[in-house]
Amino acid sequence: MKNLLQNLWEKVTNSRPWKSFFRHGWPDNPLDRSLIMTTNIFFHLHPVRVNKKSIRAAYSLGLGVITTVMFIILALTGILLMFYYVPSTELAYFDIVKLQTKVPFGQLLRNMHRWGAHLMVLSAVLHMVRVFYTGAYKPPREFNWVVGVILLILTIAGSFTGYLLPWDQLAFWAITVGTSVAAYEPLMGKTIKKILLGGPEVGQAALTRFYGLHVMVVPAILLLVISLHIWRVRKDGGLAANEVKDDDELEAENDSN
Amino acid sequence: MTATKKPQEKEQNFTKSSGKTYSLVEVVKAPTVMVDKGPDNTIFAFPIVAILELIIALGSTLFLVLFSLLKDAPLEEHANAIITTDPAKAPWYLMGLQEMLEHMHPTLAGIILPALSVLFLILIPYIDHSREGAGVWFTSKRGKRIVGWTALYTTIVMIGFVALDHTFPPRELLRDVLPNLVTQSIIPGSIMAFLVILPVLYLWRFKKGTTNAREVMLVLFTVLFFTAIVLTLTGFLFRGPGFELYMPWAMPNGYNPFDGL
Ligand code: HEM
Repeated sequence: MKNLLQNLWEKVTNSRPWKSFFRHGWPDNPLDRSLIMTTNIFFHLHPVRVNKKSIRAAYSLGLGVITTVMFIILALTGILLMFYYVPSTELAYFDIVKLQTKVPFGQLLRNMHRWGAHLMVLSAVLHMVRVFYTGAYKPPREFNWVVGVILLILTIAGSFTGYLLPWDQLAFWAITVGTSVAAYEPLMGKTIKKILLGGPEVGQAALTRFYGLHVMVVPAILLLVISLHIWRVRKDGGLAANEVKDDDELEAENDSN
Repeated sequence: MTATKKPQEKEQNFTKSSGKTYSLVEVVKAPTVMVDKGPDNTIFAFPIVAILELIIALGSTLFLVLFSLLKDAPLEEHANAIITTDPAKAPWYLMGLQEMLEHMHPTLAGIILPALSVLFLILIPYIDHSREGAGVWFTSKRGKRIVGWTALYTTIVMIGFVALDHTFPPRELLRDVLPNLVTQSIIPGSIMAFLVILPVLYLWRFKKGTTNAREVMLVLFTVLFFTAIVLTLTGFLFRGPGFELYMPWAMPNGYNPFDGL
């Protein structure tokens, strides 16, 4: 019996379909641990080996990862919210009420999306602060720092466009206040505000545009730019902590001088 | 020359025997014995990094779920363009901007200063482009002190700016004396510029010649970060009905700043 199972297992794992899906063995040895990183697109964002210093919690505080996780949670909960929501000034508000009172776990779903959005803005800011104070923007990471600044602006844009969607008093007046600032830009301000709102004030046109930006444009660009950002971390040689010489390495250098 | 060579010979980069009877060798300076150095400090990313990331992912998801079970997202009355809310606030991450609007001309508060801040952020790695100290929190002990004192300075000075400007607003006191451009833009703009430059000047004067670009960046970024914190907290926590300043726990009309998150 045991032999039979073992034979079957070997047959399966040696079959062409299996080998086409899993292009390496179980990653418990150096070769397969290298292969899992180089043959899987998600793992491929990581290098095969990492410096011990870069995984110290006290260095990165894990804030970049937390921001990424928040983005994924927001994408998933956002898709579910789209099933219950129509971006119309007549329906939107009552869709949210229905979501909270009639849909199973609807309130939890909405809570997670809203608090997740706040948390993502917060963790992106704190991540930038940590990158700055650890001097991790220095060459060769200048470009990735600039990519990061763009990510911060995109994150805020995503949160801001989502703010209008519940179409309650809070949403309406926050966006009215927020967009009125744009109009003070002396050259293009009025035009920018008009493009954003699709009219002189917050109404159906604004809701349509904010919805389109919020569920499609901003997340698509974010996905692209976050991928670029994390890929750059590897291409720049991992985290900047790697470059710090510890006592052993300094000693070795001093010996040779 | 090419005419004399056969095409086959041309493609041959490494001949079997070069016929060379000598070689060039030199003793060079290098770190001693490279055996067990470098790669020794690295580990396989799988599974350690994957597990760490999974822990962070599960931890932050758990936190979010628990928080969402405890506190509901706000939902007020149906939007109504005729009834204004009081106060009407932007989302918290824009409250710093909205707070600045109380103190200076909207073009300065809403456009020029934010644009300068973003420009500054983008320029940081191009102004401070030495690789020294990368990967170390605050770079050095001195860096840590600089950040600490700048943070303290900024917090005090910005709270002072908000309070003073609130009590003696130049754009109202000097309305009939000076043109709007001066009272709304030049005066608050100059005060802001002065407050930002002061710690940099101090850094320069203090132990001349020891300052470097990193330290100037430490001062400027800390000023920006703590100014943002003070203004955001002021706008978010201390502004109540009529956008007046109140203590957060003593808001009139039962207004609670956290209801607007
Ligand atoms: C949507 C927002 C963002 C996401 C999802 C994100 C994600 C990440 C991740 C996962 C890392 C790996 C290290 C870590 O976890 O700390 C990282 C590193 C880095 N990030 Fe971000 N980031 C974001 C925003 C920013 C911002 C706003 C900046 C700066 C302006 C920035 C600059 C950098 C730099 C320079 C590194 C390399 C750090 C080092 O070498 O120590 N990122 N980012």
